Amino acid sequence: MSENRGSIKKKKIGVYICHCGGNISDYVDVEAVKDAVRDHPGVSLVKTTMFTCSDSSQVSMVEDIRENGLDAMVVASCSPKLHLMTFRDVARRAGLNPYNYIQVNIREQSSWAHSDHPAEATDKAIHLVKAGIEKARRLGDLNPMEIEAVNRAVVVGAGISGMRAALELAGMGTEVFLVEKEPFVGGHTSQWGKVFQGEARGDEIVERLYNEVRTRENITLFTGAGVTAVKGNVGNFEVTLTLQPRGVKERLTEEEFAEAVQACPESVEDAFNFGLMRRKALYDRGDRSFPALQAIDFGACTQCGKCLEAAHGKIDLEQPEETITVQAGAILVNTGFDPYEPEKGEFGYGEIEEVITLPQLERLMELQPGKLVWKDKEIRHIAFIYCVGSRQPEGKNTYCSRYCCTAAVHAALRLGENYPGIKTFHLHKGMRTYGKQEVLYDEASRNGNVFLQFAEGTQPEVRKNGQGVEVRLHDLLTLGKEIEIHPDLVVLVTGMTARNDPGLVKTLKLPVGADGFFNEVHMKLRPVETVMDGIYISGTCQGPKNITETMTSSLAATAKANALISKGTISLEPNLAVIDEEKCVWCGKCDEICTYGAIEKVKKGDKEVARVINAACKGCGACLPVCPEDAIELLGYTNEEIFSMIDAIAEEIRFKEKHKVEEEVATPAATDEDWHIKVEKLDEKSKKILRTLQEEPRAVPEIAGETGIPVKEVMYRLMSLRKYGYVKDTNEINEDEYYTYALSDMST
Amino acid sequence: MAKVNPDFSETLKDYGAFDLTACYNCGTCTAVCTLSDEENSIPRKMVRYGVLGLEEEIQSSVDPWLCYYCGECSTSCPRQAGPGELMMSLRRYLTASYDWTGLSRRFYTSKIWEIAAIMLLSALILVLFLLFHGPMTTELTPQGGVQLNTFAPWKRIETGDWIMAGILSFFLLSNIFRMYRKIFHGPQKIRVPFRLFFTQLWELIFHFLTQWRFSKSTRTTRIGRKELKISPYWVSHWLLMSGYVLLFTMIVVFLEWFQTDIIHPWWHPQRLLGYYATFGLAFGLIFFVYGRIRRDQENNKHSHYTDWTFLVLLSGTVITGILVHIFRISGLPYATYYTYVLHLMILFPMLMIEVPFSKWSHLAYRPFAVYFNGVRNAALKIKK
Repeated sequence: MSENRGSIKKKKIGVYICHCGGNISDYVDVEAVKDAVRDHPGVSLVKTTMFTCSDSSQVSMVEDIRENGLDAMVVASCSPKLHLMTFRDVARRAGLNPYNYIQVNIREQSSWAHSDHPAEATDKAIHLVKAGIEKARRLGDLNPMEIEAVNRAVVVGAGISGMRAALELAGMGTEVFLVEKEPFVGGHTSQWGKVFQGEARGDEIVERLYNEVRTRENITLFTGAGVTAVKGNVGNFEVTLTLQPRGVKERLTEEEFAEAVQACPESVEDAFNFGLMRRKALYDRGDRSFPALQAIDFGACTQCGKCLEAAHGKIDLEQPEETITVQAGAILVNTGFDPYEPEKGEFGYGEIEEVITLPQLERLMELQPGKLVWKDKEIRHIAFIYCVGSRQPEGKNTYCSRYCCTAAVHAALRLGENYPGIKTFHLHKGMRTYGKQEVLYDEASRNGNVFLQFAEGTQPEVRKNGQGVEVRLHDLLTLGKEIEIHPDLVVLVTGMTARNDPGLVKTLKLPVGADGFFNEVHMKLRPVETVMDGIYISGTCQGPKNITETMTSSLAATAKANALISKGTISLEPNLAVIDEEKCVWCGKCDEICTYGAIEKVKKGDKEVARVINAACKGCGACLPVCPEDAIELLGYTNEEIFSMIDAIAEEIRFKEKHKVEEEVATPAATDEDWHIKVEKLDEKSKKILRTLQEEPRAVPEIAGETGIPVKEVMYRLMSLRKYGYVKDTNEINEDEYYTYALSDMST
Repeated sequence: MAKVNPDFSETLKDYGAFDLTACYNCGTCTAVCTLSDEENSIPRKMVRYGVLGLEEEIQSSVDPWLCYYCGECSTSCPRQAGPGELMMSLRRYLTASYDWTGLSRRFYTSKIWEIAAIMLLSALILVLFLLFHGPMTTELTPQGGVQLNTFAPWKRIETGDWIMAGILSFFLLSNIFRMYRKIFHGPQKIRVPFRLFFTQLWELIFHFLTQWRFSKSTRTTRIGRKELKISPYWVSHWLLMSGYVLLFTMIVVFLEWFQTDIIHPWWHPQRLLGYYATFGLAFGLIFFVYGRIRRDQENNKHSHYTDWTFLVLLSGTVITGILVHIFRISGLPYATYYTYVLHLMILFPMLMIEVPFSKWSHLAYRPFAVYFNGVRNAALKIKK
């Protein structure tokens, strides 16, 4: 019996049972619930209310608490997801510790779930409320925890999202460490010419952001740097940055640079141009170098020293790698995406010369402003194949990359403007130029660009054809006919994939989805927060986005981070794990299971014990069941609270026997005469249906056939007849495999 | 396998299509088309073929000939892609593609070619008259009419008629044979039981004489508050067509009877038939010329220069024809002779260019298309 469990702390509990306007009281007999718990130990007040969440109810609850000196409160209504905070607030307003409030869910868990069994629903509600009361009796006062927060943020990734975030945070007075992996900022946006919507070029956007970043005194930019370790917790992270040497100390003049590059014997594929050309180990990005200081790619450099002479001492090949550690209240992750790299042979990529990707085409257009030439041939016809690496029928990238349809259409428009005479074919499986981007699609389709659509689950085929290339597809827009195109260039409209950076994922301990992108806590309600308090995600590291969407999410993360750390302290939920240091023997199992890194090993006298880092603990309770010593308790869900609830629920039999409503239904009250009187009151069609069942059980189609009532109508009439006890399931099927129904036992 | 010709939409612009690539495949055109059915879905399919440049598919289609350009599709098109005008330009394109001489393509795509050809043929007539005309007598017949048969003996003219008819038939029939090859031996090969070519023959004759499909095509027209069930386009066209066939027959087959120096009384069949034919032609011409000038309907808004060439030549022929008649019975010899030469100088190039190579070829292609379509659909039905 529950009286044996732990210590009783609360003796004056107020219980409120909600009708929810009928949502609950139509099925659960709320008055019966009230009667059943009235005399429960510890209960000093029970009320039923029509809408407990209404303003007037809340006001009277506050009065009840104050006048009666209640020390705990139970509301039996809807899900705590809906109104836990509402009633905690009521408690707070009445001067009660808000954690002395218990919400019992008798709507989703009882009235709605068991609307066809009202008596049992009432019974269940009583047990749930009693369990709530038992828990309430054992509640201790809890208080939210306050921890200190450093008003400084580390922003990982200096693409457009990272730079935007850094600028906003700096503007709100937060000191920012902006960390970029590459020697130059800007990410993929710096690779693009004109980007869709508006007239701006990608590199111009980067340049503007970068120039602004440089003017801010409270932003420190690290290029060639990575986050290699994160310790601590929300409000006080200890972030280790590893700074790669740049090799160039001072900007080389154009002559020096040209000479030094000439001297450099090492060349690698130029990733900035997506492998369209090669570059040396000493390199920059031309007028898109932000900062405008050249760099040495030490991955390619052999430190042969041939560049040194031309550089006049401005190059230092011996620069060491450095490590620094900074304290930060929040971390904003803006690490961006990788363009999908088609597999060798995917639509002929890597095997047929004329097949390139959309990012490559973008670079090609930047590199060849006057005339578009590919492999010595002027390009006149281009076939774009959409959804390469997105919406894959087979493969892991089942998502839509959002930006590529519009990017391809926009590329086609610019092709038309810059290289008159080029004609493009767009092989898509449903255009997704959503929102205002639709006007671009409209413009493109008006301008003579031809759109063809292949069916979901099919793919166009790309084949070598003599000197050229041919593309075939079954075009849904041409009666599914097989169409053959002979373009000069095939452009694969590749999507976005998550950055391949397992090191960072591990360091940040952020969960990633099956698609490899970082996961937010809640897609709609908490779209930039992660399960790690104080670590935010924004931009394309979270999932495909266009530039506008990237900026929006970046600003959202900024606002969240600033709200968190700018006040100096952070308030945390008190539902934490606590460790009984007497019982603990440090086996480390709790540390292993904790995904938040909230367990640390400390010395306690002469033994080692586990301790919970309060700021990191989420109160998930994962450590409790793995502790072999049962040394861990979860505040708000202590063993004694939970066991007392189980006890209350387990008292089922006694309640059932006592329960009035249950008795009425269980005893067949209806006699033969009653039955006929009741049936007489039914409408004609229902009577007709009952008559067909007099001989033997029948299935719905049979009843419909005999009565001439449409099947649908028979169905719902039968269901209501069953609900009110006239008809019952036989749980048998007829020869056509339909369930059959019979007259209920009441009729006999 | 259908091969795309990326430059086809440009080509088609020469034949009159304007903005077909604006099409976004909604299918409204086909939905509103009164002539579209399960067997021949028009015009969206043709628009799509045009956008992609599937030339083989287009050339093997009869669909463009099954459209009579009521213009409903163009009016309803949400993108103003002009599906009706596209069908019109496809008919021009098909005429050119059936023609093995290549002249049709020249005439449709180059004004210079067309005008030069007209000039050349007119000059030929002039030269022939200069060389072979009879005496230009001013002596009138006892009835007071001009002795036209002295200046232009019907026997000689008839010889010329027969030569011309032979040439026209040769070109037209050889092109129809090519049309047949393209339709039945194109990308979709259909095995057609030979008998179907006979059992469906009635369609050819029936549609040649009535343009029955046309009568079902055009939307009903309002005159004041009253809604006409009969299409004025079809009526005007039928009057014009019947007048033309009548006259052509009288000129080629019954010239001796038609080009006579006798002035018959007004009720004489020779005069009545001539007047009817003239009325039919004139009525039709006025209706169509007026429409193309007003440009108030979808189907007369977009005139290709070949449309005007045809109408101008035909009008010239009719007007000079009427004048010859008036001058002859009024006893004005020189006026009669010069107008007669002028009449033939217009008539001859009109027939030689328009019938086998240009707009007037539809007098054969349209009924043949309906006929071939009937044969093909019957064959497909048997296959099923």
